[in-house]
This record gives sequence, C-alpha cells and structure tokens, in this order.
Amino acid sequence: MAIAIGLTIVFGMLRLVNFAHGAFYAIGAYVGLVIVKQLGLPLPVGLIVAPLAVAAFAVLLDRVVLVRFYDKDPTAQILVTFGIALVVEETLRLIFGGTTQTYPLPAALSGSLNLGFTTYPTYRIVFAAGIVLLVVAVWLFIQRTDFGLVVRAGIRDRTMVQLLGGNVRLASTVIFALGAGLAGLVGAGASPIYSVDPNTGFSFLVPSFVVVVIGGLGSFWGAVLGGLLVGELQSVTTIVQPAASDVIIYVAMALVLLVRPSGLLGESEVIRG
Amino acid sequence: MMRDLRFYLLVALGLVAFPFALHLIKGYPGLATQILIVGIAAVGFNLLLGYAGLLSYGQAMFYGVGSYVSLLTVSRFFPAHPNFWLALILAVALVTVMASLIGALTVRLYGIYFALLTLAFAQMFFFIVFQWRDLTHGDDGLQGITAPPLPLGFTSIDLTTALPAANLGPLGNLADIHYWYVFAAIVLLLVLVFVRTLTTSQFGEVLRAIRENEERSTFVGFDPARYKLAAFVIAGALTGLSGALKGLYETSTSVETLNIETSGSFVIYTVLGGVHTLLGPLVGTGLVMYLQNVISGVTDSWRLIEGLVFVAIVIFLPGGLLGPLRDRSAARRRLAATVRTAPPSPTAPTASTGGAP
Amino acid sequence: MSDALLATRGLTKRFGHFAANSDIDFSVRAGELRAVIGPNGAGKTTFFNMLAGATLVTSGEIVFKGTPITTLAGPRRVARGIAKAFQTANIYPDETVLQNCRLAALAKLQGTFAPTFFRRSTRLGAVDERAHAALSDVDLSDAADARAGDLSHGDKKRLDIAIALATGPEVLLLDEPVAGMSIEEVQKTDRLIRVLAQRMTVLIIEHDMDLIMGISDSITVLHQGRILAQGTPAEIRADQRVQDAYLGGHVEGSASGDEEGAR
Repeated sequence: MAIAIGLTIVFGMLRLVNFAHGAFYAIGAYVGLVIVKQLGLPLPVGLIVAPLAVAAFAVLLDRVVLVRFYDKDPTAQILVTFGIALVVEETLRLIFGGTTQTYPLPAALSGSLNLGFTTYPTYRIVFAAGIVLLVVAVWLFIQRTDFGLVVRAGIRDRTMVQLLGGNVRLASTVIFALGAGLAGLVGAGASPIYSVDPNTGFSFLVPSFVVVVIGGLGSFWGAVLGGLLVGELQSVTTIVQPAASDVIIYVAMALVLLVRPSGLLGESEVIRG
Repeated sequence: MMRDLRFYLLVALGLVAFPFALHLIKGYPGLATQILIVGIAAVGFNLLLGYAGLLSYGQAMFYGVGSYVSLLTVSRFFPAHPNFWLALILAVALVTVMASLIGALTVRLYGIYFALLTLAFAQMFFFIVFQWRDLTHGDDGLQGITAPPLPLGFTSIDLTTALPAANLGPLGNLADIHYWYVFAAIVLLLVLVFVRTLTTSQFGEVLRAIRENEERSTFVGFDPARYKLAAFVIAGALTGLSGALKGLYETSTSVETLNIETSGSFVIYTVLGGVHTLLGPLVGTGLVMYLQNVISGVTDSWRLIEGLVFVAIVIFLPGGLLGPLRDRSAARRRLAATVRTAPPSPTAPTASTGGAP
Repeated sequence: MSDALLATRGLTKRFGHFAANSDIDFSVRAGELRAVIGPNGAGKTTFFNMLAGATLVTSGEIVFKGTPITTLAGPRRVARGIAKAFQTANIYPDETVLQNCRLAALAKLQGTFAPTFFRRSTRLGAVDERAHAALSDVDLSDAADARAGDLSHGDKKRLDIAIALATGPEVLLLDEPVAGMSIEEVQKTDRLIRVLAQRMTVLIIEHDMDLIMGISDSITVLHQGRILAQGTPAEIRADQRVQDAYLGGHVEGSASGDEEGAR
C-alpha cells in the first residue's frame, strides 16, 4: 500500500505516465539486491545507490530514446515506453533468472515491534515512515523551490514555460530522472517485504495506476488518499471475502469512473479529449 | 469495386498458399491455423489503434473471455446438445456487452489513461476468471473439451478431419491440413471483407478524421466519443471471436489468455506488421508467432529480441513492416489527384469520382 | 433581448481563482455583424469558446433561439447552427482541401453519429455540393485537390472558415480571421466577411481596427473579463473608457502596436 502511494505520487504529480515506470521500480529492486546480497553491503548503501543507478539509466534513456518522442503523439510515447519496459524485464530475467528472490533484512530492522494493540514487523513500519518522509520531501521540493515551480508550470503548459525562458528540456529530464529515482528507491526499499522477481515491474504498475484513478489525476493529495483507501479496502476485503480481494480495487476504480471520472480529488478538465 | 475484388482474390490465394509455404520453412502443421485465428484479433486491434487511434492494452480480456465462453458453452452450458455456432455466438455476444460497458467508461479519456485503464480492466477480468474456480477451474484452466462438428445445414463437418492425402513433395502432404484451417481461412477472409468495408465506409471516413484531428472533428459536428465506442466494441467483438475460435481449436484454454503478456502481444503483432494497413497485423502475427516457435527452441533470449525489435520499429519504422508500402501507394494516389488541374465549373458541382484518399 | 438569436446572461468562467469572464450579458440579433474587441487577456477567446462549447461554463446561461444550450456538447451546437473558425487555423493537414469541407458537410448531413458501416459517403451527393459551395465562397475552389497542410497561412485560415461554412451555420464565430495575413489577404477576407454577413449572423474577434470599424454593425468591448462597452463603431470610437483600456487609446485607425507585439 505504501508502495502504491510512493509510485502514485510520481504518476499523479508529474502527470508522467509511462510503462517504463514499473521497470524503474524493478531495476531499483534488483540493484538493491545485488548490493545487499552479493556485495554484502548494508541496506542503506543499497538505498542510496539504487535510486542513483536508476536515475542515471533514466537520464540515458531520456536523452537517447525519448527525446525523439517529445513532440509525437502520446500513442507513440506509450508504445516506446512499453517496448522499453519489455526489454528491461527480459534483460533482468536473463541476468537474474526468473525465480523470486528475497532480500535478507539487516538485523537491527528485522523482527517485530510491539505496538500495544498488535505486533507489526519492524521493517514495514520503518518503510512506511520512510515513504511518508519521502512523499513530504517531494512535495516540499515541488511546491516550495523555484525549480519545482518550473516543473509544475511545465506540466501545465510546456510552450509557455519555454517562452518565459525556463529550460524545459532540462526540467523534463530532471523530472523523469527524479520519478525514476523515486521508483528505484521505493523498489530497493520495498523488496525486503515483497521479494523480487522480473515481473515486479508490471505487477505494481497497474495497482498504482488504479490508485491514481481513484484518488484523482494530477492531484498529490488525491494520490495519497487513493493509496490509503485502496490499502484499507484491500485489507478489509481480505478478511471478509478473500477471493474478492484482488478484484475489489478494480471494481472500486470502475465505480469511481462511473460517478466521478476525474477521481475523488482530481481536476475535472484534466483528462478529457 | 473491381479493386476490392482483386484484393480479396489475392488474399484468398495467399491463404491457400500459406500452409504450404509455412511447411517449407519448417512451421508445424497447426501453426498456420493458429496464426489465422490470432490474426483475427490482431486485425480487430488494428481497427482500434490504426483507424480510431485508441491504444488498448486490455484486448486479452475479450480474447480470454471469448475462449472460456465458447468452451463452457460446449461443456457446461449445453452439454447435451453442444452446438458450434452457439458457442461462437454466445462468446461474441458476451464480449460485445463487456466491450460496450467498458468502452462507455473509458473512451472519453486521453490516450495514456485509456491505455492503462484497459489494462486495469483486463487485470480485473484476469482475477475474476482466476478466482471463479467453480466455473473456470482457475489456475488449471479448461482442458480436453472437444469441439462439436460444424453444422452446415444439411450436413456437419468435424473440423479436425484432414483433407484427402496427396503428397506434394517439399510442400508437404495435403493431409497435414485439417478442415479447421479451411474454416479459419474463410472466417478470416470474411473478417477482412468486413473491416475493409468498414474503413472505406462513411463511418470509417469519420473515424479517420477524428483520429487525425479530434478537436476539429468535434467542432465540425461529429461526436468522437460515440465513434470511438463503436470502434472499441467492434474490435472487442472481433477479439472475442478470435478467442472463441482459439478455445474450440485447441480444446483448451487457461488464464494466461487474459494476462498482460497476451494483451501486449496484440500490440506487438500489429505495430510490427503495420499499424495503418489492413494486412499488416496479419503479417506481424505470422512473423512473430513463427519466429516464436522456431527461435525459442534455439535461444532463451527470444523475448528480449522481440522487445528490442519492437522498440526499433517504433523508433525507426513507426508504420510497421508494411508501412512503406502503404505510404507509397497513398502518395501515388495523392499525386494522381493533384494532376487533375481543372477546377469544377462554378455552377455545376462535380460528382466525386471515388473515395477520399 | 427577446428577439435575440444568441444571448448570454451572467456568463462567467473561472479557472481556479482566476476569472477569465465575469457576468457577461450579451445578445446579438439575427443578421448582425458583431465585433468583439478588447486588449489581450480580456477574455474574448474564452467567451467564444464558451459559446461554441469548447469550454465549460462556470456559471451563467447561454440561450440560442430561445433555448438554453449552456450544457450542450460542442458537436450538438454545430448541428444546431453555431460554427466556429479557430484562431490558429485548425484543419486536417493530410487530407485534400475538398475533403476538409466534405467532412464538415457530412457532419451536418449525417448528424453527430451515424452507424453507417457499409455505405460510402459518396452516396450523399449533397455532401459534395455543400463542400464545393463552401470552397467557392472563400475562393479556394482552385485548390480543391491540394493537400491542406501545404497551403499558405492565409489560405489555411480561409479553409478554416470554409469548413465552418460547410456546416451550414446560422451563427458564425470568427476568432481573429485576419491574424498574420498580408494586406491583399486581409482585403479579400474583408470582402468575404461582408458577403457572409448577409447570409448569417457573424461574430468576430479581431485586433485589426480598420477592418472592424469598416464592417461591423455593432461592437462589444471586453476588458478584464467583463463587458466594458457596447455600441455602434462610432459610439465605441468616441468612448473614453475604451480609449483608456487600450493603453493610450489607439482605437481608431490601424491596430495598436501593443496588441501585435504582445501576442
């Protein structure tokens, strides 16, 4: 659930929906895996290196491939990011094999905390807290800094920003890298909980998107709210009627689309053609 | 009109020659039929992407549901009187209803959101089928359900019978081909006739205009949402037909027919073969499925190659493999049009001499 | 007001906290040629967009031929007779000039949606008639078979108008029809608009004051989203408030340098 929030912030805020996002998450997870498992370095190192590696990859991708697609229609953009996601997934599969792998947890963070009314795995709590901090940090960055201003304006109206002298090219690359890095970070951080396999990319892509749809496209708090709602919905359903727990979020999504297509907190004129 | 007939004749000839050509390059006998069946879905997908400009990542839901419904019709719903046509009709009908509902919710949304929404719905159906063990046997899928013979009025044909044996040397034996292939070929031909008529019709003309410039089309007086919905439903129905045939042909189906990879494969086949062409998706399907079967025996990294080729095509050859052919013929037509220099006389309007370029 | 063809009451559009149009009470009678002018940012295009159905109304009402159309979707408004030509010529670049108009004519004849899966549009002879008529109105008949995207800027704008004409409108909204045109093209368009104004009601947004003063029956001036003044060209020319709004009052004569530069 926390992961969904992390990823959906990126989606929702940056309005940058692309298939490769899931791939970034997966790369982050694997880089983290390599660092922690094979190189035996402590987890925090993994948490720093993974997002940097993913961001670097994203920049490379952006400059080499995506730059040709900026002015093309969105369909071409989706197709190319889809293709990239496929390539990444397959490459990871070839390198690491198709089986699920798990991270070892650092000793200090494994085990459970007694919260009074229930015990809960320590790492999950730490992770959730981390996500919250991350979310706040991103929000502050985008809302409060000058650069963040350029980013926000650029999303609304690219041409205008260019005319006003903002460096849109740089800004978009940075946004993209930022989003990718975040995804990578979340990937590296989440893997102790969810374990890693090459399909991870796609399997998180869709639920994240559902969260964005429910919470509202283009809305930061919408993504947060959506994530919380979806998480709660899933937990409740698992208890009441386990078979439906996979499906329930899609049903919710369909309902939202029916009643309020721009999502709970979304801006109404964002998505229509 | 003549051009159309000539075209269909060529396609028919191609369909006749296809299994033999495939045999020459070591394709196994059933592959030809499978390619044709999946090709129907790809042609439907192309209607959506190439002509309506809608990228759907969820066609697998129609394909998978189609296959389950057709098999269940024969094995569960009407076990005493299994009817081939009924299986197809029920599958297509149900899928059409699905497409209408889902389309109504999704077609108004921008490309990226539409793509992911269709993917999300497909996932939803994936889970529904997966969980509904009672009906669908979940993970295990449905197996071993023989298709009833095809009723043709006065007689019925068991489609698994082979054609009479006749040794054709390097082209194999005629008996390698079953009536299934003939049936699939006829269905595919009919689908092509249907889609071609559709795209050259008034409806198709408007659809193309909407794809080319939606804003303008709106303010000229067309309702883009309804057109897109119509395209979505038709494409869904065709995909469902394809799935239904696949189920009956392979006597089995599984949840994999509803997964992301399946949806993705339609995208790949169509884009690879040629997105704005009628036959492109078929070429793409044939090529990829053939290579899949032949190459995957050789190396493990087949899917990686597939992905790389796909990316390459999207970047360098967005019209797909058949793209250049189409561009040339369109350019030729446009050139011919501009050669007609005499403007229509100011009082009497000229009757148009043919479809728009 | 009761014999108005097209009217608005309290029409308002807000984007977030920003009010692009506030409380606009507007009406135009059949056959009028009304110019809508105002400094940049006055909300003219937003106003037109609301009339055409391109922008949702925040509050207020739009009434056409006595019937409220405030929430009616764009395509339906065109079907009823309100057509818009765009500020930046919006055409189908890959189709021929003729086909551009045929599509518009087709829309008028078939309605917003027609499940004609098996018929070709060439069956409807009226489509070609209308298309050719529209082209000859704007004097583009010679270019009927040219690729629309290859036309010059001025020709594209005229094509845009032809497209709107082919839908057989009662009200024609022209958004800066002569922007970026050469002198001859402006004169040509001037003549065209006068001719059209005799057949239908024309609303036009423009900055070219010579043009406006010469052809309009009446003028509405917008400023900061509200109506500043309405009246005949002579009245507007004499209105001090209008002079002030235009930053130094170059309302009479050629278009003010400020407008051109700021665009």
